[in-house]
Amino acid sequence: MTRAPIVIAGTAAGMAAVIGYHVSGPRGPLLAGTSVGATRTANTTAGSTQTASSASTASGSGSGAKTTQAGTAGVVPTGTRTATGTDVQYGYGDLQVSVTVSGSKITNISLVKANVADSYSGTVDQVALPQLRQQALSVQSARINGVSGATYTSDAYAQSLQAALDKLKA
Amino acid sequence: MAAAEVILRRAEPVMGTVVSFDLRPQGLAVDVAREAMAAACAMLQHVDATFSLYKPDSPMSKLARGELTLAQCPPEIDAVLELCDQAKRLSDGWFDPWSLPGGLDPTGLVKGWAAREAAAGLVRSGVGAGLVNAAGDIVGFGAPQGQDSWRIGIRSPQSPERLACVIELHGAVATSGTYERGSHIWDIRRGRPARGIASASVCGPDLAVADALATALIAAGEQGFDWIRAAGYEALIVLDGGETHSTDGFPALADPEA
Repeated sequence: MTRAPIVIAGTAAGMAAVIGYHVSGPRGPLLAGTSVGATRTANTTAGSTQTASSASTASGSGSGAKTTQAGTAGVVPTGTRTATGTDVQYGYGDLQVSVTVSGSKITNISLVKANVADSYSGTVDQVALPQLRQQALSVQSARINGVSGATYTSDAYAQSLQAALDKLKA
Repeated sequence: MAAAEVILRRAEPVMGTVVSFDLRPQGLAVDVAREAMAAACAMLQHVDATFSLYKPDSPMSKLARGELTLAQCPPEIDAVLELCDQAKRLSDGWFDPWSLPGGLDPTGLVKGWAAREAAAGLVRSGVGAGLVNAAGDIVGFGAPQGQDSWRIGIRSPQSPERLACVIELHGAVATSGTYERGSHIWDIRRGRPARGIASASVCGPDLAVADALATALIAAGEQGFDWIRAAGYEALIVLDGGETHSTDGFPALADPEA
């Protein structure tokens, strides 16, 4: 348990890399419509925080019911919470994602808003999001604190996830 | 069960990317640790303003165009160029920012150096443990509560949802690769962009040197392992086909999920 809070940073860095990789490229290795049990909500208005109830009940952690107390900023809390990143514009449109955390584990990542060119919407929906969720899982199972990799640019997805995770700790 | 450890996180957009902090004050007052983190971010922004070749008015840009002499530049430029010279010697000439087609460009070392300086400032401020991740180039000090060392995953170049391996960090790890921004590393020996190596990771005491050596290994490949070891560093390279080669002392965990 003491190790658990650490996981998020690594996941965030890794996911920033995966998103940048897939969205900036013209195509990705297609995963045919894998749905990892997470709800996708597209085209809702900016700023509406999405609480993915299906994901938030997924963790059977005994401490999951406890909600975070204000005033413990900086200590990773134990409840289930969802944070929405800022709306980010990039070359192919604008995107906003939300991250749900149960305890210190990411249980869901969903699109809050995606106004992208038609030719890319399928890529975001069917490739980037499923891979993000998969990445969150595999990275957590390795219990890492960070991800080393080739330098990524500060593209739209990276910013959006970082913003979402920054909000989680506040 | 021990009380949860206080964690401070920050993601600082700088140098065309994002630098992430994970700090554990461990006895230091949280406000003091937060101030130290803010100071580290301010330092990174200053480094960006000084060294960016994307900013025509930066001292580094002016030096590269010959509008300033080295003596007229801020002293950190001289310090970085000296490190570049050291990395050039350590890499048997494979890292050479003076021989690039676009002119003098120490970018291959600046990001690692900046993160190293940021971490040094945090240590001086009394922060107990921390990780500074400059978009994939990482320096750590101390260890999180409940762990012997920081654990770092090295991303698989072939598959973004997989890790090539997990290492225990002792000092620093830098990774260079062509999968995020294309073939941007110049092979000075062959006079063309480097190819064949998908990523190169270098572990060792100094992130600035590790950053430069990782860049050099993309061009040199496995033949560079000799000078990597002679410099006191360890390395892992992943070929375009996914095959990996590493030095004997590379600190990869045999079973990361154990």
